[in-house]
Amino acid sequence: MTTQQQPPVLSIEGIIKDYPGVRAVNDVSFSVESSTVHCLIGENGAGKSTLIKMITGALLPSQGNMKINGAPYAPTSTQNARENGVATLFQELHVVDELSVLENLTLGMEQSRFGFLIKSDLEERVIQTLASIEPSINPAARVSSLSVAQKQIIEIARAASSGASVIIMDEPTASLSEREVERLFTVIRKLRSQGVTVIYISHKLDEIIALGDTVTVLRDGKHIVTKPLSEVSGRPELIDMMIGRCVFESYTPRNNLSEEVILSAKGLSNNMLKNVSFEIKKGEIVGFYGLVGAGKTEIARALFGADEVAGSIVFKGEKVGGSPKEAIAAGIALVPEERRTQGLFTNLTIRENIPVMNLRRMSNNGIFRADAELSAATHYIDQLRIATSSIEKHTEKLSGGNQQKVVLAKCLFSKASLLLLDEPTRGVDVGAKTEIYDIIRNLADEGNSVAVFSSELEEVLGICDRIFLLYTGSLESEIINGPDVDINDILNIVTGGNRGVTA
Amino acid sequence: MSKLTRFEVASTTLGGQVSQFLRNYYIYFVLIAIVVFLSLTNLDRYELFERGNFLYERNIINILRVSAPILVLAGAFTLLMVSGYIDLSVGSTMGLSAVIYAMLAINGVPFLAAFAITTLCGVLLGTFNGLLVVRFKITPVIATLITLSLFKGIALLLVMDGVSAIKSMGDLKMPSWFNAYGREGVLLGLPMAFWVAVIVTITLVVLQNRSLLGKYAAATGGNPTAAKLSGINTSKVVFVLYAIVGACAALAGIARSSFMSLGDPLSGDGMELTAILVVLIGGTAFSGGEGRVLRSFVGALIIMTITLGMLTLVPAYYQTLVLGAVLLGAAASNHWISRKDHAS
Repeated sequence: MTTQQQPPVLSIEGIIKDYPGVRAVNDVSFSVESSTVHCLIGENGAGKSTLIKMITGALLPSQGNMKINGAPYAPTSTQNARENGVATLFQELHVVDELSVLENLTLGMEQSRFGFLIKSDLEERVIQTLASIEPSINPAARVSSLSVAQKQIIEIARAASSGASVIIMDEPTASLSEREVERLFTVIRKLRSQGVTVIYISHKLDEIIALGDTVTVLRDGKHIVTKPLSEVSGRPELIDMMIGRCVFESYTPRNNLSEEVILSAKGLSNNMLKNVSFEIKKGEIVGFYGLVGAGKTEIARALFGADEVAGSIVFKGEKVGGSPKEAIAAGIALVPEERRTQGLFTNLTIRENIPVMNLRRMSNNGIFRADAELSAATHYIDQLRIATSSIEKHTEKLSGGNQQKVVLAKCLFSKASLLLLDEPTRGVDVGAKTEIYDIIRNLADEGNSVAVFSSELEEVLGICDRIFLLYTGSLESEIINGPDVDINDILNIVTGGNRGVTA
Repeated sequence: MSKLTRFEVASTTLGGQVSQFLRNYYIYFVLIAIVVFLSLTNLDRYELFERGNFLYERNIINILRVSAPILVLAGAFTLLMVSGYIDLSVGSTMGLSAVIYAMLAINGVPFLAAFAITTLCGVLLGTFNGLLVVRFKITPVIATLITLSLFKGIALLLVMDGVSAIKSMGDLKMPSWFNAYGREGVLLGLPMAFWVAVIVTITLVVLQNRSLLGKYAAATGGNPTAAKLSGINTSKVVFVLYAIVGACAALAGIARSSFMSLGDPLSGDGMELTAILVVLIGGTAFSGGEGRVLRSFVGALIIMTITLGMLTLVPAYYQTLVLGAVLLGAAASNHWISRKDHAS
């Protein structure tokens, strides 16, 4: 596939991206050859998304250059990237449901005279492109009548017919069924044979092996290797390259574990979850580990009663799961994944945020007690070491780690005895991470139970007593944390290795 | 290749087809049903309808004459709602245009000039709305509430001196063409004002189906991010649509003032609600992306027929309540049809 004479379609040279306190992408260089499927893999936080955002013009690199077909390339917006022939297939779909397939395909490229649409060869060309990729889609159909996979193909066809030479696909199979994945692969292979280069990002290693020509591995923001997949021996080698080291925060087994079960979930099922059952004991920290789309957030939301789910959830002998109100009353608190949009009132101050889940505790027969609020807020700022100049600071101005502590304080104040933490350290710097882990351990030592839903293996291996492994909505395995946990085995399970190879 | 299963093709189930058909044509059945109902009702007692039969020519002409203002506005309002935006100031724009038009007429400006100047004023007022929304990023509802008040204030200032409206008084006489535009039949017994509404609607139908503007309006309302990522200047689309709505509101003002023979600053009051009612009856989605100009035209006919028909059947003070109920029914059936659509 690779031709040595012509320059690579895209080359990345010494790209660096700094965020305050973090270097997300650290001196990454590699090239992408024309007409190949180039896979990009790495753990969460390895810098994949940041790198992709720079290639698509959504972020500007702090340092470094990029070239397209040998010419300098410095996109300032996604629009600008498209003009340079780089199109992106985002995880969320960007099609207009109300228009027809054809109208979507030509959107923004129409030929017109005096503002009125005129017949041109564009439509013919677009229809042919679509037919060559996926003949079963009727160009006259309304997009709202199509499936998610078909909408995705519309986007691919649009990118292809707009003359894109590089199409970036970020986890394109996240919401597709197995059959649809196969169909997508056929489409991608067709594109490749037509001279289009695809940069393919996925956590599912089988997909990488089935589809890719070349693989680039990132780890901790650094470029580890770029090599043809034909030279990769298999899944274990990919996993080794992704992990590389074993410097996990050491887990110290906790002795005072009780045997008392405080929550038992049986047969949880909905459109995402498949018959998930487990138990959580008093004073225990359990981890739910899996990749994006494995069902972690869905389990957390189900336990909290935020989503409807079949099956039963019993907490301290009472049935819960009906509504968040019921969960809070029973003593369950959820720290959501998107803390800015779901966990915090960013327009309010720290003082106002902390008691919000349990305002009754702050009032006397309906009269609000400001002094109680003040003392509670001061107490938690102290206890959780929230770094702030003032208790009156608006929470949007806090750092990620401190915001997360405020959300934790909110839950603690609600007197919860089971905390559900969804990605508790996402977007939090290393120092604050350690502090949050300490807080979690302290809470558990005091007899509370904590469930950590995380896509960071280090995190669950660092603090959890027991770990549940998830893959596409089902609970695949349960392991007791300890010194002789086999990391390769875990990664194998959560990337679908238990299932027998698909594609 | 042949082993691969194909994607499920777009729904061709009976249920899907029925709901599609209902969605496209129910509005016409509703109009027919109302007309049939009214023509079977004995209207003898009521002076508005002659000869006791709804389907008498004069009655129909009457309804269409009175409807001219909303008929001329409905199409433009639909396109704006399709793009996901709204204009609550249309009533005030109408009132202000009515006053300007009457002032021009009473001061001897000839018909065509007065007509053109007033329409241009409407464009400017609409442009101002567009500016607030697009340039200064004020939420459409707030921005047009502001101009609702501003425009009406200007109109009231213009009439000021002790009278409530511009009309023939003493030496100052309205020219004869002023009244004729809205009342005198020129073709099939219907006045100019009605035919202007028809021409505007036809133009907008063509614009919606055949122009970039029509398509971009749907894209902007359907998925703004996708529209922007496709290189569409959504701000420009919205801006132009506000200007068109302004122009059509001015035409509505001209029609109304001509019918009433006076330039009343309050003549458009409540028009924003009527307009919303009409486009919703016509199946336009409040969330944008969805809606047809022609269906809103029919929706306007339905609302006006019900309103005038009701005048004869129930006391006037029931009217608003009945209109509310009709809207509730329309919203519910709209919801039902779209749910059917998704289920299939």
